[in-house]
Amino acid sequence: MKNIKIYITIIAAALLTVSCEVEDGRNLNGPTTDSITGDLSRGELQETMAGALADMRDRLGTQVDAQAVAGREYWRFQSSDPRWTGDLLTGTLDNNTFYTTNAYAARYATVKDLNLLLTGLENTTADFSAEEIAATRGFANTIKAHELLMLINQQYNNGIRIDVSDPDNLGPFVDLNGSLTAVFELLSSSASDLLNGGNQFPFSIPSGFAIASSPEEFLKFNRALAARVEVYRGNYASANTLLQNSFMDLAGDLYTGVYYTFSLTGADVTNPLFFALNSSGANARIAHPTYITDAEPGDIRVDKAVLREVDDGNGNLVANPVTQSNLTGNYDVFIYESNEDPVAIIRNEELILLYAEANHISNPSVAVSAIDIVRTAAGLPAYSGGTSPNELVDEILMQRRYSLFAEGGHRWIDLRRFGRLDELPLDRPGDATFEQFPTPLTENRG
Amino acid sequence: MKQNNLNHGRLLLFLFLLPCFVFAQNTISGKVTDESGETVPFANVIVKGSSVGTTTSVDGDYSIDVPNLPATLVYSSLGFTTVEQAVSVTGVVNVTMAESAQALDEVVITGLATSIKRSNAANAVAQVSAEDLAGRTPPQTLDGALAGKFAGALVTKSSGAPGGGISVKLRGVTSINGNSQPLYIVDGVYVNNSSISGAGLNFISGAASGGNPSSQDNPSNRIADINPNDIESIEVLKGASAAAIYGSRAAAGVIIITTKKGKRGETKVSFSQDVGWNEIINFKGQRTYTREIAENGFGPGQGDLFAEANNNGSLVDYEQEIYGEKGFITNSTVSVSGGSDSTLFYGAFSNNEEDGIVRNTGYDRKSVRLNVEHKFWDDRAKISVNSNYINSTSDRGFFNNDNTGTTIGVALTSTPPWAQLAPDANGNYPDNPYGGSNPLQTRDLITNREDVNRFITGGTLDFNVYKAENSSLDLQLRAGVDYFELVTTAIFPKELQFQKLSNGGLNGVSALGTTENRDSNFSAFLIHNYRTDSDLSFTTQAGLTKQQFRINTVRNIASNLIASETNLDQAANIAVSQFRQEQEDSGFFAQEELNYQDKFIATVGVRGDKSSNNGDANELFYYPKASLAVNLHEFGFWSENSKWNQLKLRAAYGEAGNFAPNGALFTAYGNSLVGGLPGIVVPVTLGDPTISPERQKEFEAGMDLGFFNNRVSLEATYYNKTVDDLVLQANAQPSSGFSNRWANAGNLENKGIELGLTADVVRSDNFNWSTNILYFTNQSEITQLDVDPFNVGGFGQGLGTFRIEEGESATQIVGNNANGELVVLGDAEPDFQMTFSNNINYKNFDLSFLWHWKNGGDNINLTNLLTDFGQTSPDYDDTGLDPSGELSNGDYRIAAFSAGNATPFVEDASYLRLREIGLYYTFSDKVLEKTFNGFVSNIKLGVSGNNIINIFDYNSYDPEVSNFGSNGLSTGVEVTPFPSSKRYLFHLLVDF
Repeated sequence: MKNIKIYITIIAAALLTVSCEVEDGRNLNGPTTDSITGDLSRGELQETMAGALADMRDRLGTQVDAQAVAGREYWRFQSSDPRWTGDLLTGTLDNNTFYTTNAYAARYATVKDLNLLLTGLENTTADFSAEEIAATRGFANTIKAHELLMLINQQYNNGIRIDVSDPDNLGPFVDLNGSLTAVFELLSSSASDLLNGGNQFPFSIPSGFAIASSPEEFLKFNRALAARVEVYRGNYASANTLLQNSFMDLAGDLYTGVYYTFSLTGADVTNPLFFALNSSGANARIAHPTYITDAEPGDIRVDKAVLREVDDGNGNLVANPVTQSNLTGNYDVFIYESNEDPVAIIRNEELILLYAEANHISNPSVAVSAIDIVRTAAGLPAYSGGTSPNELVDEILMQRRYSLFAEGGHRWIDLRRFGRLDELPLDRPGDATFEQFPTPLTENRG
Repeated sequence: MKQNNLNHGRLLLFLFLLPCFVFAQNTISGKVTDESGETVPFANVIVKGSSVGTTTSVDGDYSIDVPNLPATLVYSSLGFTTVEQAVSVTGVVNVTMAESAQALDEVVITGLATSIKRSNAANAVAQVSAEDLAGRTPPQTLDGALAGKFAGALVTKSSGAPGGGISVKLRGVTSINGNSQPLYIVDGVYVNNSSISGAGLNFISGAASGGNPSSQDNPSNRIADINPNDIESIEVLKGASAAAIYGSRAAAGVIIITTKKGKRGETKVSFSQDVGWNEIINFKGQRTYTREIAENGFGPGQGDLFAEANNNGSLVDYEQEIYGEKGFITNSTVSVSGGSDSTLFYGAFSNNEEDGIVRNTGYDRKSVRLNVEHKFWDDRAKISVNSNYINSTSDRGFFNNDNTGTTIGVALTSTPPWAQLAPDANGNYPDNPYGGSNPLQTRDLITNREDVNRFITGGTLDFNVYKAENSSLDLQLRAGVDYFELVTTAIFPKELQFQKLSNGGLNGVSALGTTENRDSNFSAFLIHNYRTDSDLSFTTQAGLTKQQFRINTVRNIASNLIASETNLDQAANIAVSQFRQEQEDSGFFAQEELNYQDKFIATVGVRGDKSSNNGDANELFYYPKASLAVNLHEFGFWSENSKWNQLKLRAAYGEAGNFAPNGALFTAYGNSLVGGLPGIVVPVTLGDPTISPERQKEFEAGMDLGFFNNRVSLEATYYNKTVDDLVLQANAQPSSGFSNRWANAGNLENKGIELGLTADVVRSDNFNWSTNILYFTNQSEITQLDVDPFNVGGFGQGLGTFRIEEGESATQIVGNNANGELVVLGDAEPDFQMTFSNNINYKNFDLSFLWHWKNGGDNINLTNLLTDFGQTSPDYDDTGLDPSGELSNGDYRIAAFSAGNATPFVEDASYLRLREIGLYYTFSDKVLEKTFNGFVSNIKLGVSGNNIINIFDYNSYDPEVSNFGSNGLSTGVEVTPFPSSKRYLFHLLVDF
């Protein structure tokens, strides 16, 4: 009997050691979205804003490359993915592969970062002043507008969704004009927020935004983006006014602007648009031969494409062309000197050319003087051609082609909005141009 | 001593209390011994046809009162052949029992704490003995040894890289996104089998930045650490009908491993040494180059370079150069086993070293084991402790997919034989003008190493609470810990072509990943046995279990290194990432088993589980089970001398669970850094806090037939496995900001048949031949899908991808055809698999071999496309692929790719393999006596091989391949893998 008592005690002890309550699982590896949207603290504002700014650069390489290849600015050689010289030059686009889906998803992810931040801002219990909240909202919505604009550039006639804050109830697709209008309105509302934003942002911003580091200065960046949108919409008068209020400086450095920055430190990323000279066909950006042949003699911007040469072992430099998929190129695209060089979001040279375009019908002489600023900087003589709208458009497109070469895939966008995609050279039989990337399959457009 | 008295006392008491039994008491007593003269304690002695019985004492003595004479006494004990002895007079009856090698096969684990005779089991539980596992030829890793050994498994090696990396799928696909690898339990300890990409190779290869977000860096899985030589037997519970009792981690099956234990008697020392080599299975060969081909394929000027190299004889076959090594293999094992009446021990030390077929790759493992078992308190209690320490190092090279042209495999795709890549006298390697890296330089200079230090320790305390004539109650307490530290080191020095600053490289990368993992499990069971008079026995068990899992992985990647240093602080840039996960499960289970005269055996049970992996951690999920086995041959329909001696019909049903993958409950931000400002960014996948685990329901029915006293046995099983509430990472609309979202959104069904035939074909003094043939097949179907069909794994519809679609096979491979329509191009599930294993024994020679035939099952083979683009495909200029007969193979594949036609990339991955073959000679006892005078009890010499004959049509190194590693749906995608190897070994085994 005594034994049985001992046994029961042992059993009970055993059962107790194997207790039944289980703690809820936690995510140990980072904050979750509901903790941000529920209440945004000062520290969290800094982190979410920095996150959105970092995410702006996500898939930038794919985005710019795809547009640049479409616009025949350069060829993108990659031996592990021959679709760069296949689909993107034949115009047979897959709606479910990286060149369609990656940049699209990345831009909307940035929009999501910002939407979560804005919701958290609405629900915040932290000690933000009204000015700080307005400044933050203005900043966030300007970046958001920029991201939507990048999407419109890729999707064009397909239209894009503008209201995407609820993943279970996404807003409808808005057509091209409607979405450009929505972006413009977003820039306008954020401009008024910035005006009420006081003189300091309640968060730090990276060095690429140095010229836009206060609400007042940032407003000029906002106006610059708005000017670009207005020019795309054809609202030249409005664009003209906006440019006056932007950071455009006809006498200033053409490279003044707002930039994406990159670094090798830690979790930071390197410039995806940089490749060393003489890169092999594994990964290279090869300038389209017409970039060199179409240039006006004396144009120093041609040096953005560097002849590929290697030492033959005897001290002589010999040509080092590279071939892939029946395309042979002799010139590397080399506008970034290292993988930490910044990439322009929008800069003075583009603003000057937008200024030229905004005035080319109403005030051709103003347009010509703006063009001449760019021409002079490029080592060319002053413009001596005709001033009819068509001729000026020819000249402006030419200048944009060389000034903004390989920077944001501008050539494709510009030719497209003037209906001139047929001017693009087709290198091989079966090649063709295309107007926009398809809506990704998983968008379930229906 | 005490037990003996107690028995006697109880017996007398029994007689006192129930006078009706006191009729004519005939006492039989005696001693039970085994063939070597040792006593057999605790053997059961019962009067046949009655419930009168007793057990022998520690000394093998027994005394039993038989009601009527003549009678038959039945002597049985685990590990011995049952003896029936007719007795006609009272007196002394001494009995000798023979050890039965087959007896071990007879026991199968059903509950967490109980086992059952195989002849009574209601499930088709596969058992792999030590002989089957490692007896023919020693496998490199444990998971590799499982292929072809039992029915119902699809075992796929991810690559030939030394150190493992294997996926084991039991009865088809269990989950799309969740875990699909079985639970491994070693001596009651839950053992970790994760695959951890510690080194962050993706930083170099950029594999995740292209068409598929997986890092594709081919990590090994941790089950490879277990030394196959330590294993006594493996039991495989293939689905929920058998594994339900293990609850929410058992949906993909449970593999129960029992290690070797000591045996009572003289201490035996055993020493074995294996020596051998491995080499590639077969080379793919080279393209036949001409000046024209060189010029057209590689650009102007290359034709001259080719001609020059051809004339000088300086063409290099880079495939031979990289994959042509013969790796040296040596395995040494020493084991000591023995025991006394109360204590048994088994200790072993193993050292395995194997070089790979690529220079600077290889796998080393040292393993130390000590298993001790001790009985005390009059043998009422038993404590057993199993402990194992493993230290392993594997160097795996740098292979598989990338987006930077840096892995050795991808670099080879564009490197022609006239490239001069060898280093100069000072060890300087030239840059490879044909690719992003110089494969010789990469092979020689990089380090990609996994170091593992692991302790697996478990202890069990069995305690017999009370024991009566007809019943007994036992308590079992169990605890186990699996602790390992995995250190992954990847060093890419700055001299590498793709690291040089002038080539836009990072000037050297040193990556160090440290993973600390601790899994522990505790359980307590009560087992009650009760036997009625009419030979109806009840086994009741109930218990509680608790498991805790902790993992902490820290990855450091340092780039821009100082000089030739590799310490992480000797660098300009350091990126750190950390991943932590803690999980806790707690559960209870209860099971009741009825056995009516071995005619009907019915089991009913339920497991309740709660886990921190569920949205509500304290919500209990119930997993029931039920089974019935009917041994028709016990009914007496059969005559004693029938040739057909066994017919068992069985059916079983059970449910088991599978957690949603870690992180499915949350939408956790990721990290970012810009301009020195740390930030948080939305992840790719939207979480669902209301997600519940997947539930598998399996129904299994079958029959076992035995003929000629089980000399020929046939086993047939049909199963139907459905998985409800599949956790799917469905495509989210990307404009939501997420590319994927988690949801319980589908049902999956697997149906299949397993047939097995075992036969002792010839059994004579000098010649024995036994054979085992297995045939099994499985078909899966997505029976319900609440989200839109989506592609998973692979690289898009233009190259072939898996697709989850309602009404279709879960493993279907789809792609665009020549007309641009999305069609089904294949299925990764084999049509059927067959294995054929034979043991032939002639005098002292033993020959055994295992053939494995996998028929059907397709792979997505993208290696040839990459070599086509690199103009190096061996079959580039051959014809046969193009249906119109116009284009050469290489041109056809490229054209198909350009047109988005995925048809040529889906290939049949059938194979017929001689997986294992071994020929051994055992020296006869007489020779040993003469030569060694009894000091040496056994010497065995042998030669064996692994993967010796491989027959397949597949156009690459090996159809068993997986670019995406072992977990997940998409095994069978190939992108320039590490080729598989075959092994030849010589053996010496000496027992002292």
